[in-house]
Amino acid sequence: MKLVAVTACPTGIAHTYMAAEQLERVAKKMGLTIKVETQGAMGIENELKPEDIKEAASVILAVGIAVQKRERFEGKRIFEFSVQEAIKNAEGILQKVKEEIGG
Amino acid sequence: MAVEFTFDFPLPLGLHARPAAFIQERCQDFEGEIVFENLRNGRKGEAKSILSLITSDTQYGDLCRVVVSGQGEKEFVAALKRFLVEDLKLKEEKALEQVPASTATVPRLILAEKEIYLTGQPASPGIVSGKVFLLQAGFNWESLTAGGEGSPESISLQAEKEAFSQAVSKVQQEIQRLLPQKSGVERNILQAHLSIITDRAFIDRVNELITKEKYQAKQAVYQAGREFSQLLGQAKSQYLRERMADIQDVTGRLLEQLGGQKLTRTRASLNEPAIIVAEDLFPSDFLSLNLDFVRGLILDIAGQTSHTLIMARSQAIPAVTGVTQASRRLRSGEEVILDGTRGVILISPGEAVRRYYQKEMEAEGLLLGRRQQQAALPGQTADGRKIEIAANIGRPEELEKAWRDGAEGVGIFRTELLLYGQPALPTEEDQYLLYKKVAEEASGRPVIIRTFDIGGDKPVPAMSLPQEPNPFLGYRGIRIYQENYELFRHQVRAILRATVFGQLKIMFPMVSLVEEVRWLKEKMAGFSKELQAEGLPFKEKIETGIMLEVPSVALLADKFAEEVDFFSVGSNDLIQYFLAADRSNPRVRYLNQPLNPALLRLLKGAIDLAHDRGRWVGLCGEMAGDSSLTPVFAGLGFDELSMSSGFIPEVKAVLASLKIDDCRQLAARAMEAATAGENSQLLQRFYQEHFSQGVISPELVDLQAVCRSKAEVLQEIAIKLELSGRVDHRARFEQALWKREDDVATDIGFGLAIPHCQSEAVRAPSIVVLCLTQPVDWQSKEGQPVDLIVSLAIPAGEKVSQQLALLPKLSRKLIHEDFREALRQARTPAEIVSLIKQATS
Repeated sequence: MKLVAVTACPTGIAHTYMAAEQLERVAKKMGLTIKVETQGAMGIENELKPEDIKEAASVILAVGIAVQKRERFEGKRIFEFSVQEAIKNAEGILQKVKEEIGG
Repeated sequence: MAVEFTFDFPLPLGLHARPAAFIQERCQDFEGEIVFENLRNGRKGEAKSILSLITSDTQYGDLCRVVVSGQGEKEFVAALKRFLVEDLKLKEEKALEQVPASTATVPRLILAEKEIYLTGQPASPGIVSGKVFLLQAGFNWESLTAGGEGSPESISLQAEKEAFSQAVSKVQQEIQRLLPQKSGVERNILQAHLSIITDRAFIDRVNELITKEKYQAKQAVYQAGREFSQLLGQAKSQYLRERMADIQDVTGRLLEQLGGQKLTRTRASLNEPAIIVAEDLFPSDFLSLNLDFVRGLILDIAGQTSHTLIMARSQAIPAVTGVTQASRRLRSGEEVILDGTRGVILISPGEAVRRYYQKEMEAEGLLLGRRQQQAALPGQTADGRKIEIAANIGRPEELEKAWRDGAEGVGIFRTELLLYGQPALPTEEDQYLLYKKVAEEASGRPVIIRTFDIGGDKPVPAMSLPQEPNPFLGYRGIRIYQENYELFRHQVRAILRATVFGQLKIMFPMVSLVEEVRWLKEKMAGFSKELQAEGLPFKEKIETGIMLEVPSVALLADKFAEEVDFFSVGSNDLIQYFLAADRSNPRVRYLNQPLNPALLRLLKGAIDLAHDRGRWVGLCGEMAGDSSLTPVFAGLGFDELSMSSGFIPEVKAVLASLKIDDCRQLAARAMEAATAGENSQLLQRFYQEHFSQGVISPELVDLQAVCRSKAEVLQEIAIKLELSGRVDHRARFEQALWKREDDVATDIGFGLAIPHCQSEAVRAPSIVVLCLTQPVDWQSKEGQPVDLIVSLAIPAGEKVSQQLALLPKLSRKLIHEDFREALRQARTPAEIVSLIKQATS
């Protein structure tokens, strides 16, 4: 199953990247494919391309501020969590997403 | 019949003086009786008495009962209930909003510990702890008893009661008379006085003392005032302390009416170290104290610039001013911590706050040591280009601090400060003695005395200068000398006579034409002749200079150089004249650009013209003290930089780390830029290339940090960063860390917390790592204890840079358990530094 995610937090130097790393790490362990875009102090990195979004089964937002370019996800099933949750419980999040979309 | 209701007290700060006044005001027109009872502690009192309400010690959420009896009680009780449950809270919130923003920075720990503290303006930096010594006019109990005629038996109760009641109505009238003239805080205070003087609890107590104890009226007033203020003084609430002050004030007014004698200031009796508390302190009072024992200064009146405060700064005595009624809210002998850096005073602090401040004081000591080392540096670059680093002063009292800060001379002594607020102009003799003193105290260091620079912008009481629509472009500086010839003559003669005692130089303000300089020199020559004829000694040769603040002087500097020995750039005025922007107008403040390329070209051109003719050029405007600009000024060729002495150690330290060729290249490139913004970036890159110290170094690591709480952890981080020169103002940085924690606590599980923030106080992206000997509670929802701290500090407005890019890399790495364990297992700070460097490479 393929997923896409965006992480963003207010200061944009710590939580954004920790959450991204955690989602990538845990997804790999669970045998999922995930591409995580970070919106932080370094700007948008690892940007999700239209085809990434198109192919993805769903979108995970792990954010503490408004997401930039949210319109890209129109029509997609979106799961929104706090950044803290993504860091502390990435496994739970991914499990939940997996179940909900029937994977 | 009586009607009653109960309610939970709704105000978070409890029933303090202000809401008590609101309640009293709401109740006083009701004809019947209203009893307020706190059911938690059983204290009961009259709702029409502020003192009864306050002494009920009602806290947030206490269950209270109100019993109303009298005509129209039913209607009133409904209205009163609505008032207490709803309106009171709104009124209180509104009142809190009106509290003027204090310039104080209160450490979070103090708020968390619910300590009693006072705030004011930070007026002289530093932290001390000690006992309060009140310098205050008070009332003498002996004078009250001694003044009474006859023995207590002969006192007529009725006469004493009558005297008291008359005094009350007189004071009442007096306050009523003053009320319409006052506004804001003063008016509130008077209103509070009015409500106390008519307070039933107070009046009853005084009458009771007269009747039962056979006190004279004045003794009874004194005693009742003392009882109530002591009661309030013990309370653990800021507001009750204010009320204590009000009671003392009211008692004072009454006692004056009843013939009590005021005590004079108890000046000489300071014989152990103490923190002086006073309403105001005249320089004479300050000097009459044994300064060896004065550890700190707390004043009621606001201000930073009085003579007393200048002296305090110059003696390195911490001070806080503008502390509302400090002299009434503090008691002699009370233990306080005075934080002159943040503008905070702690009263009888508890253990946690003591520990916090103990650490702060140790950090201050270390910082002071570093400052002293920097102050002792010579004013020169690493490769030996000398640039004199001097101080700007306005008064001789500032000299001592200037020398301590490492000033190599005085770059400008702004003499016009001697004229402000003075009823008469100083005589030649007055001035001579003053300049002589300055010359002597400089002990051989050069001192540039700038002649009076006055105009329509700042009135001089002893002169009548015309009010002008545009004083900065008007009749000011030397332009007024012809018409005010004697003022000019006396000052120049006084300076010339004082040249015998040191290395004095003279400098004239607001010169725009060569003819003006010729006129000045001709007159000076005349004054010298006068002195010769009078047989008064002076040095024949005095270095004579002019301010370079009008652009015409810069462009014609070669011609001026034939007339004068030196120039000093007054950058504030030069910028406003050159860029045509009034510096007091906030709408055009963006034009105040020290790095404007046109300005840099103007300066470089003038300096080159002056140097070609062997003249030297200094800079004495505000921007001289900005150490981030030092490389540019050195590169442009300035020979002297003069500034508020507080900036000297820092500027010297920056200068000592520069090579003059690098600075010259930098200045040359800056003159080629199109905008000041480009130059800011140029400068930032210059610093990164020349001073890059990496994001972490061993001094930012502590493998055995002893911190008992989250507050101490954040404090430790702030101290480490300031000691390593990466943060300017750790109090502000600490606030920024807390602000980030308020959004969401930064513990992320695994025993790890990553406190971080972006702040103007940060100079370079930095990482601090602490391994705690004991885990602490991070005060977050999850509440897992934390033992590993990785803190990130980022400068405000930092754009994407190589350094900044390291921090996200580190953040990602921290997710991995093996990395966290490696940090925990590290045996030396160097090991941590190399782990972090590997992780971020």
